[in-house]
Formats: sequence, C-alpha cells, structure tokens
Amino acid sequence: MKVYWPLYAMAIPGIVFLILFKYIPLAGAVIAFKDYSVFKGFVDSPWVGFKHFETLIHHPDFARVFGNTLMLGLLKIVLVFPVPVLLALMINEIRKSALKKGVQTALYIPHFLSWVIVSGIVFDFFSLSGLFNVVLGWFGHEPVLAMQESGYFRIIYVITSIWRDAGWGTVVYMAAISAIDPQLYESAMIDGASKVRQIRHITFPLLLPTVLVLFLLEIGNFLDLGFDQVFNLLTPMTYSAGDILDTYVFRTGIQQAQYSFATAVGLFQSVVGFILVFVFNRLSRKVSDGGLW
Amino acid sequence: MSETRSEKVFVSAVTVLLILLSALALIPLLSVVATSLSSKSVVDMNLVTIWPKQLTLDSWRYIIDRPDLWRSFALTLGSTLIGTVLALLMTALLAYPLSKPEFRWGGVVMIGVVVAMIFKAPIVPYFLTLRGLGLYNNPLVLIVPHVLNPFNLIIMRTFFKQFSKELEEAAFLEGCGYFRMLFQFVLPLSKAVLATLALFYGVVLWNQFQHPLLFLQNPDWFPLQIKIRQFITDDNVIMSGAVSSADLNYNERTLRAVTVIFAIIPIVAAYPFLQKYFVKGAMIGSVKG
Repeated sequence: MKVYWPLYAMAIPGIVFLILFKYIPLAGAVIAFKDYSVFKGFVDSPWVGFKHFETLIHHPDFARVFGNTLMLGLLKIVLVFPVPVLLALMINEIRKSALKKGVQTALYIPHFLSWVIVSGIVFDFFSLSGLFNVVLGWFGHEPVLAMQESGYFRIIYVITSIWRDAGWGTVVYMAAISAIDPQLYESAMIDGASKVRQIRHITFPLLLPTVLVLFLLEIGNFLDLGFDQVFNLLTPMTYSAGDILDTYVFRTGIQQAQYSFATAVGLFQSVVGFILVFVFNRLSRKVSDGGLW
Repeated sequence: MSETRSEKVFVSAVTVLLILLSALALIPLLSVVATSLSSKSVVDMNLVTIWPKQLTLDSWRYIIDRPDLWRSFALTLGSTLIGTVLALLMTALLAYPLSKPEFRWGGVVMIGVVVAMIFKAPIVPYFLTLRGLGLYNNPLVLIVPHVLNPFNLIIMRTFFKQFSKELEEAAFLEGCGYFRMLFQFVLPLSKAVLATLALFYGVVLWNQFQHPLLFLQNPDWFPLQIKIRQFITDDNVIMSGAVSSADLNYNERTLRAVTVIFAIIPIVAAYPFLQKYFVKGAMIGSVKG
C-alpha cells in the first residue's frame, strides 16, 4: 500500500520558494499603478492608474534609455546571435579530436568568467598602456581611450558578448548536430554531394529547429540585455550610448528610491518582452512546426 | 570514400580559421597574465603584450598578503559550496514529485514553474520583497534566492521521468517510501544531471554580482566579485596598505591584473573536471525537440 503524503511533503519547500521569490515580487509589480510608500506596503499604497507610465513616456531620459536598449538589443540579435551557429558548423568539420577539444576549450573558457572579471580584462585591454593601444602604437596610431568614449560603447558591447558567450552557445548546437543520423551524410556522399552542399542541405536544415527555439528565447529577452554586463562596462562618459533600461532602473529605482516609477519602467520592459515572444512564437509556428509552446 | 582536393582545402581553411579564433579568444587573458607578472616600469612603458617582461612576483605577493581579499574569497567559496548543495537538494525535492503521475498537484505546480520561468518580476518589487523577508544586509542573500531555478528544475524533472517503473514498484513492495526511494535509488542514479546542474548553480553562485550589489552594504560581507569591482574602479581601494616607495615593483594596473587572475584560478582549476558534463548537460537541457 503506497502512501502519497511524502510526495506532497517534498514539494512544499519548492512551492514556498516559488511563491516567496517569484510570485510575490511578480504580484508586487502592481506598485507601478500605485504611489508606493514603504510604510503602507504593496497592498495599502494608493492607486494612481497610469500616472507613472505617463511620466515615463514624457520623461526626457526615456527616449535616450529606450533607444539605447533597442539599439543594443538589435545589435545583439543581428551580430551576436548567429555567431555560435557558424562556429558550431565550423567546429563540426574538424576531424582531429584533440584539436577539436582544444578549440572548444579556448572558446568556452571566457563564458565562466563573471562580467566583473570580463570588464576588468576589457578595461585593462583598452587602457592607455593596454594591448589595444600597444598594437595601435605599432601602426603609428595615437592612443584611444575606448572605454571613455561613447562612440566605442556599442562595438565593445558586441565584441564582449561574442567573446564571452559565443563559444558556450555552440554547446547546444553541437549536441543537436551530434544527434543527426550519419546515414544522411553517407548517402549524400554517394550521390557526390560536396562538404559545402552537405552543410547547406543536411546539417543546417536539421539544426534550424534548435536555432529557432533559441532565437525565440533571445527575442523574449530582447529588452533584457544583462544588467551585469552593461553595468560593469559603463562609465559616466558612456551613458549617452550605453545607459539602458536595466541600469537606469537600478539608479532611479534602487539608488534614488523612486520605487513606483522604476517599477513602471521594469513592467514596460517585461510586457514588451512577453509580447515579442508571443508574436514570434506565432510566426515560427506558421513558418515551421517549431516553437516554444 | 576519399575526400576530394577541394574538400581538403575547405576543411583545412576552416581548421586554420578556428585556431586563429581560439588564439584571439585567449589573447586578452594572456595579456592580463603577462601584466600581472611584469614589473611596473615595463608596464608603464607599454612594453608588455602577451609575454611577461622583467618577470616579478611582487604584485602577486602584495595581493596574496591582503586579508580582505581572502575574506571575500572564503565567503564566496563557502556560499558557492553550501548554495550548490542546497540548490541540488531543493531542486530534487520538487522535481521528484513533479515527475510522478500520482502527484495530483503536478499539473498546476508545473504551470506555476513555467510561468515563473517566463515572467521576470521587475527588479524593484523583487528588491522590496527580499528586503521584506529580511535579506537586506544579510549575507544569506548570497545563497537563499539562488537555491531553486525553474529552468534547472525542469531539466531534473525530465531526467527523473525516464526511470523505469519496475524498479520503483519492486522497491515499494519491499516497503520503501518515496523519501528513501529518492535518496537511495533515484539520486545515486542521477549523477549526470546532478553534475550538470551543480555546474550551472555553482557558476551562478560564484559569479553573482547583482544581488550583493543590491542587498549588501557592509563591506565585511562583500563577495569576491564586488571586491574585484572595487579594485577595478577605485585606485585607492586597490592601493590601500601599499607601501609607497620608489623601488616599488607594482602599480594599480599590475595589481588589478593579479586580482582578475586570482578570481579566475578556481574556475580554470575546476574546468577539466567539469568539461565532460557540458555536452551531456546540453543534451538534457534541450527539453524540447
């Protein structure tokens, strides 16, 4: 005779955790529609409707911060997202397994470094006596303080994103490629298909569903660029190009305690992300049968 | 089937390109290592690229003598180890019932998990909630919010689902309960998924920056990442306690390089042991498709 109560007992800690750390904060987002006061709390603070959203849209900072966020999000989708796919297709062509392992290790390692560490390396790299300026010097260039110039922020954001995460991104694609039936390649070779044609007509199409799922996840995080990365790479001189919703919310919401206003910004961000996932999921189910749900 | 000439050219070109890219990926790291091992004067004269010049361990000696850095290191290591074990336990305790059809709340709880994964609460109500729970200025904030991750939970549940019913039924007939089942049979057979998730949780705990930045004010409780951030941004913090003398063989830049390497060493040391789980983890992780 089985008794079921232990199953319920086991589930309780996890359920309590999800309620405390996920659902209460989620419900707490209602303060975007209230004038939150620390003394009254989430429930008793007075309702003010869309006041904070109106302030937000007319706020002079908003256009700049939202523009930066869109710009970096777009760069990430267009320039960063495809890199691991290309890398995985390339790594898959290496036959010598020791070499393959070495290349993978070199490309994976940066992923395990925190953004604080990465920014430390990047600041050193671009400092006056850093490697970047040493090399510029060889070609007779004047030194450039790239971290202090807003013109360089976006390109640094893109390069650091690729450097840290593109190698790691190949792990999922490599797993997907390894699941492809080898017989497909054998019969293609019998038919005389070249390497490039095999990639184009077998590997890539079979990889596409995985690419699509990851693309959807990426789109869902379109406005969520990673606080750690931007915060650590940002300097006051680069705010004009690099200040994004996440860093802006941190300064206004937490440091200046404008709780309701900053929550409105955050809620705006989450809702846009959700709508994007929803729309693109629809689209992807039309195009192919892949999708998140 | 032998490869044609053009195929060989193609494969070699790809291989060479990848070797170049790998070198490119490692150069910034080598450059920091070289800086950390070079003397102040050559660093100031822009002579250091990826090989150390005028090799000296002075910067390393100075950093290794700093008690505040070791304190952060111990705190980070401790919270990472304890946090990872707790996280695996918490995750398994919920993943196991969710993998059983006889757990009647399963459907509802699963929807709850997925919603928690897709919707992220804005940071301000999240901050206010955790502060309300007493985690402000409390070092437990380095562990508690990380002990259950919905994505990892789903990975573990998927893994548990593949266990054979027969084994369980036989154990149940012998009078084994669900708790013993989980700890004596299911978990010991789940080493692959436990290792993968230990890696995922461990890296997050070791590298966490936003939580301590938001919640910890007392410098005694600063984990390694916050400490290093201070070293990177503030010359006074990194040079505090340094003896100023003309024959000093380090400066802010070489010291910064040392702290950066210092924080990477544990990860690089653990890497060879973890590497074999990456691909396995990715396979388990591709829940759909």
